[in-house]
Amino acid sequence: MKGTKEPVIQVKNLYKIFKVGNTKVRALNGVDMTIYKGEFCAIVGTSGSGKSTMLNMLAGLEKPTKGEVIIAGQHLEKMNENQLVKFRREKVGFIFQSFNLLGTMNAIENVALPLTFRGMDKKTREAKAVKMLKLVGLPKHMKHRPNEMSGGQQQRVGVARALVLDPEIIFADEPTGNLDSNTSAEVLNLMRKVVQEQNQTMVMVTHDNHLAGFADRIFHIIDGKIVKVEDRSEYKEEEE
Amino acid sequence: MKYFDLLRMSASNLLRRKLRTALTVLGVIIGTASIVVMVSLGLGLRKSSLEQIEEYGGLTTIQVSSNAYYGDSSSSDSEQQRIDDKVVESIASIPHVEIASPILEMNLLARQGVYEGWLWVRGMSQEAIQKMDMEIKEGELPPAGEGLQFFYGNQVITNFYNAKTNDYYWEAEEAPDVDLMNTPIFVIFDTDAYYQSRSSDGSGQTVSPPKKYIIPTSGLMAGDLEDYSENCNYVFADIDALKAQLKKIFKNKVIPGQPSTKSGKPYKEFYYEQVYVRVDSMDHVQEVQQEIQNMGFNAYSNAEWMEQTQSQMGMIQMVLGGIGAVSLFVAAIGIANTMMMSIYERTKEIGIIKVLGCDLRNIRSMFLLEAGFIGFFGGLIGLILSEIISLVINSVVHTASEGYYEHLSFIPIWLVLISLVFAVLVGMAAGFFPALRAMKLSPLAAIRNE
Repeated sequence: MKGTKEPVIQVKNLYKIFKVGNTKVRALNGVDMTIYKGEFCAIVGTSGSGKSTMLNMLAGLEKPTKGEVIIAGQHLEKMNENQLVKFRREKVGFIFQSFNLLGTMNAIENVALPLTFRGMDKKTREAKAVKMLKLVGLPKHMKHRPNEMSGGQQQRVGVARALVLDPEIIFADEPTGNLDSNTSAEVLNLMRKVVQEQNQTMVMVTHDNHLAGFADRIFHIIDGKIVKVEDRSEYKEEEE
Repeated sequence: MKYFDLLRMSASNLLRRKLRTALTVLGVIIGTASIVVMVSLGLGLRKSSLEQIEEYGGLTTIQVSSNAYYGDSSSSDSEQQRIDDKVVESIASIPHVEIASPILEMNLLARQGVYEGWLWVRGMSQEAIQKMDMEIKEGELPPAGEGLQFFYGNQVITNFYNAKTNDYYWEAEEAPDVDLMNTPIFVIFDTDAYYQSRSSDGSGQTVSPPKKYIIPTSGLMAGDLEDYSENCNYVFADIDALKAQLKKIFKNKVIPGQPSTKSGKPYKEFYYEQVYVRVDSMDHVQEVQQEIQNMGFNAYSNAEWMEQTQSQMGMIQMVLGGIGAVSLFVAAIGIANTMMMSIYERTKEIGIIKVLGCDLRNIRSMFLLEAGFIGFFGGLIGLILSEIISLVINSVVHTASEGYYEHLSFIPIWLVLISLVFAVLVGMAAGFFPALRAMKLSPLAAIRNE
């Protein structure tokens, strides 16, 4: 089973060095990792460990200093900004810590926004958004604006927005950082469920070991280096 | 991203900050209105001065006169300088000349009842009379082949005075009781003989008073006594009929105003003091004028006056437009400022849509559109405002100048279109750098947790 898995994300010898004054800060110090299709991975580390930088690299938001990032066969480090935007539009869904919904739009419009960028017409994209919102359990909040919803509901909208594109990879940056523990578990279970159903790949960044426990594989990162990879899939299979 | 979605997003972004948008638009309104009103004033001034020139003899007419009458009569080539029918024909053959008609000018005395007055009679060709755009109040233009008939200009009556009381129109401001249309008028052709006969008592030699003729009236020119126009003081007649009449009256004598040979005999043909020339368009007046001058005649037109007026008006327009442009420039700075503010406020939002995969060009277009919207609506409302201001100016000036200025402020369609396009362009130009800035904002701003 493991042998047939195809890699979706390959990171080879990745460095990211920031210059702060005269001192060089190595945010990433030679990272190698491979994530396969259909996996739910977590990157865990304390603040300042380089986990957020790692995610930015994977999503093409920041340029690496050295090394290769290959996602779905494409070398991100060689792309210009226009190509990166196109890449995100077509391949990537994003879930943010602070939800980042647009306050002027209601739930449907927020979910439909990435489809708008793809040039989809209004009728089709709103139909898709409605379907997604039902999937994440918000059938009654279609017309609500973000400030009329609770944190958990907002993050569900955020999840719906990330999934509506039917992306190959979903990146989640501390998706439950602004939620209480009960809601966090709900949202995470939802994410897991949806990702498994659609056979999508998800990469989540968190500082919380407990939340990381929802993932199949956990990468522990300290000072820009991956120190430990925990494989929980077998354990989970046993659990099931 | 679909164009309509772009429009919708831009519009909704503007509507989010209604007050600020309204204030920025207000700046553009004032800028556009000031430019349009200023330019319209310049255009109106130009238009009314052209109309004025038109009143004083038209924009396309050239008056040609012979210099023989003013210059030295001793030289023999002055005879060649005289204008006869051949000269008129050669002027008529110059390109762009529409009409060339000789003017046979006669000063005649007219009497009706106690009133006496000078008539400045101009004999002209039928074609010229027909095409001089004279408006007819009564009757018709002098017809051809029906004997001599007079067509009176609307101010001719003011030349009559009461011969008994010596009351002139210009003193009393009272119109003489002369009916040119229905009551016969006695016309004296040989005015020298007339005056000699009146002053002859005592000198021994008596001159018999000349014959008076009743010349039928063909019509009257439209207009009141106060309405000045190029032709209002003249009496028009068909040139052939006038010639025939003169020949009949003077027979072998020299006709007053016509040159004579050294022995005092009249020439066989008529010579003219002036030629009336009309050119097909304003642009060719100077060219034709030059050509006539090269033929050795004096040629006068309003072209120089007009050119001077044009360049003067051009200056005024530029100054006025410049004043207006300053306020639009200030408005443009306002737009740029508003857009910058809006980008700072929306840094996070722009970051989000970048992470979600919004095309960079779309982001730029979105901000350009917003700035363009501000320009467009500012321009549109500014135009409506300037139309209102223009109406107010016109009605105020119209009453203040007692109808002298008809349209001091004049807004043609092209000005409307140009200023609207200009306002949009100014808006977009002002929004260009903010839009570039928005495009280049880092998407990382979105994931940074505040």
